[in-house]
Amino acid sequence: QKQIDGVVSSSDGTPLPGANIVEKGTTNGVTADFDGNFTINVSNDSSVLSVSYIGFSTKEVVVNDKSSLNIVLEENAAGLEEVVVVGYGTKRKRDIVSAVSVVDLKEVKDVPATDASRLLLGQAPGVIVGQTSGRPGQELNIVVRGLSSLGADSKPLYVIDGFPVGTSTGLSIDPADIESMTVLKDAASTAIYGARGSNGVILINTKQGSEGRTSVTLDVVSGLQQVPDSRREKMLNAQEFGQFQKESWIDKYILNQGREPLESEIPLRIRTPEQYMTSTDWFDEIVNDAALFKKYNLTITSGSEKTKSVISMGYLDQEGVIIKTNFERFNLRANVNTKITDEITVGLNVTGSRTNERFIDDGSRNLVVGRALWADPREPVYNPDGSFNDYIGGYGGEGDLIFGSPNPVQLLHEEKNTRHINRLLSNAFIEFEFLKDFKFKSLVNTSLIGSRENSFRPSTLAANSFNSPPPRDAVLSETYTEEVNWSTDQLLSYSKVIQEDHALDVLLGYTAQEATLRNIDGSGQKFPDDQVQFLQNAEVFSVESGESSWSLLAYFARLNYAYKDKYLVSATYRREGSSRFGSENRWGNFPSVSLGWRVSDEYFLKEIDWLNDLKLRASFGVTGNNNIGNYRSLSTLAPENYILGNSFQPGKVLNSLANPQLGWEESDQYNYGLDLTIFNNLVFTAEYYKKTTKNMLLPVNIPVISGFETTFTNIGKVQNTGLEFALGYRKQITDNLRLRGNFNISFNDNKVLEINGDNDEIRNGGFYSTNNVSQVGRPIGMLHGFRNLGVFRTEEQINSSPTQDGAIPGSFIYFDANGDGEISYDTTDWVEIGNPHPEYVWSFTLGADYKAFDFNAVLTGAENYDVYRNIESTTLNLDGVFNVDVRAKERFRSADNPGNGIVPTSNFWKWERESNSFYVHDASHMWIRSVSLGYTLPLDEGALLSNARIYINADNLYLFSDFPGGNPQVSTAGGINPGRDDSAYPVPRTITLGATLSF
Amino acid sequence: KEFLDKKNPTQLGEETFYNTEVQVNQAVIGIYSQLQDIIADQWLFQEFITDNTTVHFNEGNRGNGPNIESIEYWQYNSNTGKIYDVYRRIYNALGNINTVLSKLSETEIEASAKSRFEGEARFFRAYYYFLLSQYFGDAIIVEESIQDPSEAFEYSRSPISEIYALIENDLAFSISSLPKEISASEAGRLSKGAALTLQAKVSLTQKDYVKAKTVLEEVIDLGIYSLLPNYADIFDPNNKNHRESIFEVQFQGDNDLGESSGFIYNFYPLFSQGAVTGFSGVDGNGWNIPTLDLINSYEEGDLRKDVSLSEGYTNNEGTFVDVPFIKKFHHTHSVQGRPDDNWPVFRYADVLLMLAEAINETSGSTNESLGYLNQVRERAGLDPVSGLSQDQLKDAIRHERRIELAFENHRWFDLKRTFTPSELVTFLNAHGENERANPTTSRGQIGFSPGDYKFEAHEILFPLPERELLVNPNLKQNEGY
Repeated sequence: QKQIDGVVSSSDGTPLPGANIVEKGTTNGVTADFDGNFTINVSNDSSVLSVSYIGFSTKEVVVNDKSSLNIVLEENAAGLEEVVVVGYGTKRKRDIVSAVSVVDLKEVKDVPATDASRLLLGQAPGVIVGQTSGRPGQELNIVVRGLSSLGADSKPLYVIDGFPVGTSTGLSIDPADIESMTVLKDAASTAIYGARGSNGVILINTKQGSEGRTSVTLDVVSGLQQVPDSRREKMLNAQEFGQFQKESWIDKYILNQGREPLESEIPLRIRTPEQYMTSTDWFDEIVNDAALFKKYNLTITSGSEKTKSVISMGYLDQEGVIIKTNFERFNLRANVNTKITDEITVGLNVTGSRTNERFIDDGSRNLVVGRALWADPREPVYNPDGSFNDYIGGYGGEGDLIFGSPNPVQLLHEEKNTRHINRLLSNAFIEFEFLKDFKFKSLVNTSLIGSRENSFRPSTLAANSFNSPPPRDAVLSETYTEEVNWSTDQLLSYSKVIQEDHALDVLLGYTAQEATLRNIDGSGQKFPDDQVQFLQNAEVFSVESGESSWSLLAYFARLNYAYKDKYLVSATYRREGSSRFGSENRWGNFPSVSLGWRVSDEYFLKEIDWLNDLKLRASFGVTGNNNIGNYRSLSTLAPENYILGNSFQPGKVLNSLANPQLGWEESDQYNYGLDLTIFNNLVFTAEYYKKTTKNMLLPVNIPVISGFETTFTNIGKVQNTGLEFALGYRKQITDNLRLRGNFNISFNDNKVLEINGDNDEIRNGGFYSTNNVSQVGRPIGMLHGFRNLGVFRTEEQINSSPTQDGAIPGSFIYFDANGDGEISYDTTDWVEIGNPHPEYVWSFTLGADYKAFDFNAVLTGAENYDVYRNIESTTLNLDGVFNVDVRAKERFRSADNPGNGIVPTSNFWKWERESNSFYVHDASHMWIRSVSLGYTLPLDEGALLSNARIYINADNLYLFSDFPGGNPQVSTAGGINPGRDDSAYPVPRTITLGATLSF
Repeated sequence: KEFLDKKNPTQLGEETFYNTEVQVNQAVIGIYSQLQDIIADQWLFQEFITDNTTVHFNEGNRGNGPNIESIEYWQYNSNTGKIYDVYRRIYNALGNINTVLSKLSETEIEASAKSRFEGEARFFRAYYYFLLSQYFGDAIIVEESIQDPSEAFEYSRSPISEIYALIENDLAFSISSLPKEISASEAGRLSKGAALTLQAKVSLTQKDYVKAKTVLEEVIDLGIYSLLPNYADIFDPNNKNHRESIFEVQFQGDNDLGESSGFIYNFYPLFSQGAVTGFSGVDGNGWNIPTLDLINSYEEGDLRKDVSLSEGYTNNEGTFVDVPFIKKFHHTHSVQGRPDDNWPVFRYADVLLMLAEAINETSGSTNESLGYLNQVRERAGLDPVSGLSQDQLKDAIRHERRIELAFENHRWFDLKRTFTPSELVTFLNAHGENERANPTTSRGQIGFSPGDYKFEAHEILFPLPERELLVNPNLKQNEGY
């Protein structure tokens, strides 16, 4: 007999009270005390101690000659014992039999996130997170397992502390308040959310207090943002543009007159480009190279046996990388729960926030970001007297027809667009435990949102339309909205393990939710001056008000059953009614079932030491999508007024047909998965899914002879099939060094199976702009246009090619798709010219802890997809009415000077600007999304601070891509019109310094 | 159950409307209102396409032009957006008319009100089918309210004779049910005279000159219309719905009611920077400007020239710019973009000239036919014409209509009616060559496309929009497209 004293702790030194210490092969065992200390008597020196603790890998230690042991346990890489939040409840990770991804908040804690959507970036396979714009306060675009609807929105549902708030968190949640984030991906996990489940569900739970001493944690982050040079489109400078104007004029002259002009014949304005000694880089003028980012959070947690609470306060202040734009948020939160008796618990989560924003609209050449690309570089920002040069370009003289534009810098200074939003989000619950195994929980959730949006454009600015110099009539618009959204849930659950082998878990629930949005919009124009910016000062003004609401009711049930932890079954059912659907088709049924088999627990695998867990699972479920707007099933009469007897007469016109049959869009999804954990440190997950969405609520084209262009019908079918793989690794290499790595990759194949008959298609776009076309048998929103085969060099080449009416040397050569010998000036020769869906997306996270240092890096990437740069039909418009991209220098000028064979001539607009593959660019990329390095200060025991860490983080550090725009994830239209770039707010690189101090 | 029953509180629903006289009246006003949108673009298809007007060529902006310019240059095809727009708007209006007519048959309102409402609705239906037959030839006839969209796929085009039959039938009802005179408080509503005038125009187009003459004489015999002594007064917003006016589209400007007429802004010259619009820095869109050919075809001393058009303007720098523009609908207004001009659809001068045409076609150049023509000439300060052959008079009437009714969207139908198709092709190509050789406005360094201003016989009808052919594959495109 020999006595061993020891201590069990985790790798970061935290003691593990309650750890089990067993002498292997015996029943001799003890548990560690509150400080992780234990004492055990073993038989001899060769005894082996098996030390285990929930959530950590079991460790075996040979006693040898030691009498005291310091045992460090490693966290279990798979986190199999971890409790995961799922719909209306929680589940042990090892018991999950559907496709669920948990966001590792530790890996993203240093990221300067303004809201929850940023935390998802690179974290979950099958969840595509797009930073489509860099506007401060912009939520990231989230798509779970592909675009699944042609008609309704494909955004996931956010559920905050059990409250389904909709397809956006509205930036109401401070990331510092988030305890856990889970993404439910397959129908088996989302069917319990019924008609809102088909695009995936993102569950966010906020921090709750725990029993223990009061702790105070202060997070301070501050940093700078900028647009790296490598992510800016390069435009001509003043002298180069002057030269371009001169050469274009000469080229046209030669074309029309058959000879070179004499120098004296060249219009004076463009004769000497050398005169432009200074140049304005408008884009450079509108960006802020040192935009500040500040974020503070103070969290106080405390808890007694009965009452636990979290109080937090946050402040975020983010300047935009475009001058005069910013986003600011104040937020407060109190989460309290208390046990009234042993059986009754009540709780309340309340958060209030205020956001203030000064913003700009983006996504079009006529908005300021686009304008800063094409504005005349020969013009100064300021007049010699320091005032703004208030009209850029617009000379209208021969040879120099550059469009007149407002001064982008002045525009940003003087046009004010502000948005202020107050939000109050609360959840209150009461929970009874009774008859030992039963629980009843009643919840009330409310979200109150009030917003004010205000925009004023003073008379000093030129109009956004071309060639409209100031002064203009000042314009003001003001909008107030109020949104009341509430829900109530009644949940009855029963949980019991029968005869050790049968674990049973039953949930019955009922929910009701209603939301009402009211608004009042006012707009006015013609102000006597720009000083008093209120509606009553406008000479002409109008006001409108509105109200819109929806409601739903649902009953649901869930059964979880496990036999010997080996055979797992979960089934859910939801019956839901929604006000959004036709009176004759108001209720839908959403069942799901999933099965799991823990193969590793079978006798034939049980003895394999290195195999920790192997689980096979399969699921099927039906979900719906109700993101279609309100009142779609009802007919409406719109006002169409007239004048009779020289006085106003109200009139009405029927502007939509009623459809009482309008019903649910339905998705069926199969999911097959495998979870594998080996060697305690390698976790592998694979998923295959097939999701078919049908009965989509689609505005179907109908013959206009019906009086209407479209009608909403349940029609069409879209299929997404995909594979997702995730591999995680965690290892304590030496006492001082730990490594972590995660890699995930997902493939999604999207296909339209049906629209309205085989020949129908959904086409969005114009002849001269991006076209997204959805056709049967092809993915949603493929890019269409002429296929560009280069540039004609000679008349002979034109004559021997299919006819292109009016083509001249230097015009684009288009592909004669229908082979009729003629490129007709319409869509008949159009073909697919690009695929906006990546073949696969991946992310890689690498982490290392060495002594007091920690390091984390996240890389993300997407391969093989295209973006149509519609902005290039402006920045490579060679009419001489816009400044142009430097690539214009490579344009065709003559057969002897043909340029690069890609950029056309400046002589003629036709056969250049039509939707064609010239504007399509491969957007494959790899992005170093974030790199952080932290240092945890060594602290004396009993010091005021209990923990202190400082860190530096670089966000969106470096982009590897051949894409000529700054952001390959840009999507200025979104939805079923992916892959459009119309000049969006640039995405910054952000370097932040942060400190976390706990008291 | 009631918890899920949500109605849109901001809009009325079909099921609760069309029950009272006030509601039906609102629905009929809705029908009138839809004409405002159709009229706003009508210049494209009835004036711009002809030798009367052209485009103020915008060398810099080649982006948005082609859709509109394709009509000027006769380069339109089944994808020309503006053609789809007019097709859509007309059928949208027809759908609404049919809904109102079907609801009207079910409502229990006073019989005389009901009859008048029906007469108004059916006038519009006849007018739109006339436009459809003129634009597209054979057209799909819808006479009932389509409730189930799937039914819309079952219609096919009816021959033009059936369209005329429908028009006759509707107009016969309108003529009998519409009041002869309209009180001042209802000015702008349809009268019997409007229905007769439309009937006359349709009969003339059908070459039923006898009927046209009878109907036109009925208009005169109503005794309520006469020529205004001063041509400019016809278009003066202070003088709306005058006694020469038979039917005009009502607008009201300078206020916030949303009923102002914006068409003149399409016609103002480009880059005029307020020198024409009167609002600092505000240009026009430069569409539908008078051709040099039209300007030159005014006779010496014609009082209408100065009222109808201007040959140029003096810009803000004090220089004369020789870009002509339409003056007829250009009247001072106090709020930018919100003019007060009505749009004349039928007026008495048109009736007189149609009557001259109908008589000339049956009886030739007589005192009667010459007399009606000379009434119009006299007001214009021109000498009467006499001693013409039937063919000469036909040309003279066509010319007089061109001048008298310039920019009022008559020219295209007049050309189609009074020329044979082959004459029209020759006539237009001659105009096209002239315009190519001597464009009304400078084209800078940009030449014409080889296909510009080449008119082919099939282009007398517009193509059916591609969208309609895609949605309903049973539909057949017009020949030549």
